[in-house]
Amino acid sequence: MSIETRIERFAAMGTRVEFHVFGPVDDEAIRAARRAVEAVDDSLTIHRPSAATALNEALAAGGSVEIGDPLLLEALALADAAVAATGGLFDPTAGKGAPGRWSALSLDVAASRVTAGGPVAFDFGGFGKGYALDRAVDILRAAGVASALMSAGESSIAVIGAHPLGGGWPLAIPDPGVPGGTLAVIEVEDAALSISATVGAGMLAPNRAATVRPRDGRAIAAARTAIAVEASGALAEAISTALIVADAGEAAALIAAWPGHRHLFDHAVTAAAREDADV
Amino acid sequence: MNERDFDLTRRGFIDRVLAASTGIGMATAAPWAMAAAAGVERGDRVRLGVVGTGDRGRALIQNILKTKNCTVAAICDSYAPHLARGRALVPAGTRSFTDYRAMLDARGLDAVVIATPLDMHASQTFMALDAGLHVWCEKAMARTIADCGAMVARARGAHKVLQIGHQRMFHPTYLAARKRAAAGEIGTITQVRASWHRNKSWRRPVAPDATDRQINWRLYRDRSAGLMTELATHQLQVANWFMDALPTRVMGSGSICFWKDGREVYDHVALVFDYPGGRKTIYTSLLNNARYGCEEQIQGSKGTIEPELGRIYSEDPNAVPALQQMQCDVAAGNKRAVPIGGATWFPELPVRTPGTPLGWGEYDETMLQFEGFGEAVRKGRELPGLLKEAYYASVASLLGEQAMDSGRALDWPKDLVAV
Ligand SMILES: NC(=O)c1ccc[n+]([C@@H]2O[C@H](COP(=O)([O-])OP(=O)(O)OC[C@H]3O[C@@H](n4cnc5c(N)ncnc54)[C@H](O)[C@@H]3O)[C@@H](O)[C@H]2O)c1
Repeated sequence: MSIETRIERFAAMGTRVEFHVFGPVDDEAIRAARRAVEAVDDSLTIHRPSAATALNEALAAGGSVEIGDPLLLEALALADAAVAATGGLFDPTAGKGAPGRWSALSLDVAASRVTAGGPVAFDFGGFGKGYALDRAVDILRAAGVASALMSAGESSIAVIGAHPLGGGWPLAIPDPGVPGGTLAVIEVEDAALSISATVGAGMLAPNRAATVRPRDGRAIAAARTAIAVEASGALAEAISTALIVADAGEAAALIAAWPGHRHLFDHAVTAAAREDADV
Repeated sequence: MNERDFDLTRRGFIDRVLAASTGIGMATAAPWAMAAAAGVERGDRVRLGVVGTGDRGRALIQNILKTKNCTVAAICDSYAPHLARGRALVPAGTRSFTDYRAMLDARGLDAVVIATPLDMHASQTFMALDAGLHVWCEKAMARTIADCGAMVARARGAHKVLQIGHQRMFHPTYLAARKRAAAGEIGTITQVRASWHRNKSWRRPVAPDATDRQINWRLYRDRSAGLMTELATHQLQVANWFMDALPTRVMGSGSICFWKDGREVYDHVALVFDYPGGRKTIYTSLLNNARYGCEEQIQGSKGTIEPELGRIYSEDPNAVPALQQMQCDVAAGNKRAVPIGGATWFPELPVRTPGTPLGWGEYDETMLQFEGFGEAVRKGRELPGLLKEAYYASVASLLGEQAMDSGRALDWPKDLVAV
């Protein structure tokens, strides 16, 4: 018996997005899920005019701004929770040379208002991808989808239900230092997974910004890969980013908080990886 | 094909033009097409005198004969063998002339159709206008930018119709493409990459009773701007049309680099036309490699249109190989780990997705140009928007020639006549 499959592939959020749905599904549900991803992109992108771009302009000198865009407001609320959950290790206001300023913000979700004591600019980056997949997952689940794998740029993955052949979805995370090698095989079911790395071919992708430490805005030089499996994509992105910038103690604490679901690999930088980084 | 079949095909074709030229934005993007497809009124056929029964002139005659409102009332060619070939296409008794002046003086025409070498277009247009006739003239308009402007000004001054032969503007595929671009399907169009590449000398055999300048007029600078006026004009019209704008500046490089046979015009041209907002048209034409043929790649943030091929492509990324493998595994009943999770980077090879068809077929767009012209002549009112497109396309091709000749970037002229 063959399994019905439906593949949707498109470009969004500066990367390629794929939905692989197994079992029956309405075309309309697929379209709605795709539109949900595109809508998050349209709201959160900072590469073209968007609600996020407008907010960054409005807060260029600080102040208090009302947020009219519901997706941006929800993303800010989720980011606020993620910043708290990571003790500020995840901070979407941090940029190269610009320490994170989330602690200087106050977000009033009920009043749709954000207030900043000084200049602040948001870059949701991977967090936006995780959030977008969450919204698409909700739509497909509501439409009765019981088995699906979704990928945004291959570093943000969400799965609905079990693998079409039963059990968890086995994902083999590549070792950036060893061509063809695997860092870990992780089985996921009804979960989101995020991979952050400071090395590997992925770092050559255009517009790929280095991960910076919110404390001082410094780019992380250590060669590491972090993996987080969480119930939501937004949280998975925040945790994997936090693991990359964490010091040893902070990383151990994050991993201990959800054992078996959070991983950090420190790589000896191999010759191959260094060559990659020079391209 | 019997009469009924022809009528069905004709109806189908006109319906396609109508369908493609109605829609948001199309009233301003292609007003001529709607007007031409609106149908022909009953009445006497418009009497056309065709000057130049060379390759193109004969194709035009065949198309005119298919129209419901035009007739070939006279033909003219100064070269007897070509006139004879023209005569073979028209009913016996159709008047034929070797001298253009004589054709005009003989009267009995409503309009002339000019299909002679480029350097003749302006003077033959002026003579026809002076004789009180409307004019249909092949592209490009004239050998100089000044003459192109003079053709517009004198036709307007004489209140006569002047229509230029840009048949793509009547082609259902182009109209459908333009409509889908207007609907935003390929996003903001920022670049048109157009090319006309051939692998042949472009030189025609010369019979003993003719001269090379006469037959191979395209290869002589005083007669033609070569690839620019003969080929690029069509595509620069398409580029301006899809950009919905005029170039602001052009730079280019031309060379005689392969066919070193004494020709005077470039066999390689490469140009960049700037448009407002940082957009551009990149144009190349050459005569010793045909792989990329003739195409206008209309490139937007969400997709690409290739109207010569009749296809539209969306900016779908390549498939993730690991997920393709997963699909194969599942189909085969194998559960295997999916190697995914590094932000994998993929080589930026050309995307080979097949796209979807815009509708393509052998259409009678050249015939429709004449039906439109016939109605314009009857009403004494030109098809809206058409002359403007033609004028700017000719100016763009001639300005491109100047940019290549001078080796300088040239601004779009500020002293063009109003159209
Ligand atoms: N729209 C198109 O797709 C298309 C295609 C081909 C050619 N054209 C255009 O058609 C025109 C003619 O091209 P062609 O390939 O037929 O050239 P051609 O050389 O085959 O034909 C030109 C004809 O004009 C005749 N002629 C020249 N001077 C004359 C004069 N003073 N009086 C009468 N007849 C004269 C020549 O004897 C010749 O028969 C050009 O402007 C060309 O750009 C347009």
